[in-house]
Amino acid sequence: MAGGYKYFEAIEKRALLLGVFTAIMVSLGGLAEITPIFMAAHAVKPTLGLKPYDPLRLAGKDIYVREGCYLCHTQMIRALRAETQRYGAFSTAEESVFDRPHQWGSKRTGPDLARVGGKYSDDWQRKHLLDPRSVVPESNMPAYPWLSQALVDGPDIQARMRTLRLLGDPYSDADIEGAAAAVSGHTEMEALVAYLQGLGIANEAGGVSANRQEGTP
Amino acid sequence: MTPFWSAWIMFLIVLNLGITLFLFLWGPRVKIPVLPDGTTGHVWAHGVLREGMHKLPLWWLLFSGAMFAVGFVYLYLYPGFGASKGVLGWTSHQQLADDTAANAAKLDSLLASLAGAPVESIARNAEATRIGQRLFIDNCAACHGREGHGNALLGAPNLVDGDWLYGGDGATILASIEDGRGGTMPPFGGSLDKAAIENVANYVLSLSGADHSPAKAKLGAPQFAVCAACHGPTGSGNPALGAPNLTDTIWLYGGDLATIEQTIRDGRHGVMPAWRSRLSDTDVRLVAAWVYAQSHADATH
Repeated sequence: MAGGYKYFEAIEKRALLLGVFTAIMVSLGGLAEITPIFMAAHAVKPTLGLKPYDPLRLAGKDIYVREGCYLCHTQMIRALRAETQRYGAFSTAEESVFDRPHQWGSKRTGPDLARVGGKYSDDWQRKHLLDPRSVVPESNMPAYPWLSQALVDGPDIQARMRTLRLLGDPYSDADIEGAAAAVSGHTEMEALVAYLQGLGIANEAGGVSANRQEGTP
Repeated sequence: MTPFWSAWIMFLIVLNLGITLFLFLWGPRVKIPVLPDGTTGHVWAHGVLREGMHKLPLWWLLFSGAMFAVGFVYLYLYPGFGASKGVLGWTSHQQLADDTAANAAKLDSLLASLAGAPVESIARNAEATRIGQRLFIDNCAACHGREGHGNALLGAPNLVDGDWLYGGDGATILASIEDGRGGTMPPFGGSLDKAAIENVANYVLSLSGADHSPAKAKLGAPQFAVCAACHGPTGSGNPALGAPNLTDTIWLYGGDLATIEQTIRDGRHGVMPAWRSRLSDTDVRLVAAWVYAQSHADATH
């Protein structure tokens, strides 16, 4: 082992070389764990019957992202007994193929929302977004009163659908053509409630659950 | 996992473990040149700080060696080394299935004895209603409140006051939960003008003996004939339709004049979702039993 010291010395005295070797070593784990899953993600196919978001729900999804709902709510039911017992079947990659970006989240200040669709009435969702403590006194969720005043912008939704089609979502010309009319006159509140009420049910095989109530599509 | 990615992962694991294991075995054996005074000759702060020489502590060597051992054992037992499934054949989905089965086994004897039992008899089982309460808090409390006191803003009825829209026997509570309810009162703002609505509202108030203007109530009485179709000629309600009793002091949306006027003008549409697809038959019975027990103090004794 005599003389081995000169190799250590060569590395330790060259900060850049030391940095490069360190970077290589710490990246090995990431290359092994992340790269294969990242590449496999492109091969994930939608579950049978899964459809891309209709215009109103798409608008709702983007409002969900804009308002940062994912900071407090996950849409990821893990394969753990306590979670499947409370929230339902665990989430799969196939279910969120049309979520760009996915809303799995990583922090639960509020409950998981992956299968919240139909759990409450539309009216409950509206009142809860306007004033959470009027229905859940213990809640520390902020209120979102401005949602009921702003209207969904039709041409903007069409532009989003064209972009999503570019990324591979199967929207037809007719879908995009009719989008402006489909969201016309609807408030952001209606869009977000439509999105929430579809979570976990409306884009699943078997279609809209019997829990759906009232007028939203 | 494709053979390529399996090989990719194996290669990186071998590379990582190979390099670190080599450094772990070789590094401590490398002889570091020292000066006669026992230091390496590295100095800082103009010689005030000098670097001495010590062997790596034994605890550090043992700890590091143990980490390698744990790594190798883990890769042998569990999935991780490329496409290897590990000798235990562990999967997260199997773990979930086992945990779920183990939990079900704990409740099996209790739940088996309750399956299909009438709500009234389940309500006498304290252990069962305790589970029912957990399910109620998770699923029903958002509208009915943690204690079941209801929410006038939503028209979610109080479930513990002994007053029932559709009926308070076990079978009816069960049906309300499983299939949901949609209590609809049509709006009369189109057919009645402001004064007429005020008159009818005063008549409604008079039914329960609340403060009202007798003169206006008298004017509103004839119009109540329309309301009587659902609420009954005396205003005592109709459980078949979920039409509330207007002669008592219990109000679904509020019993002040302004709220009653609003109810008549705009109508109401209360929604209780159906739970059949979310909760199992036994779960629904447990919730119904807890609800039933709240207004039947004798049920639990």
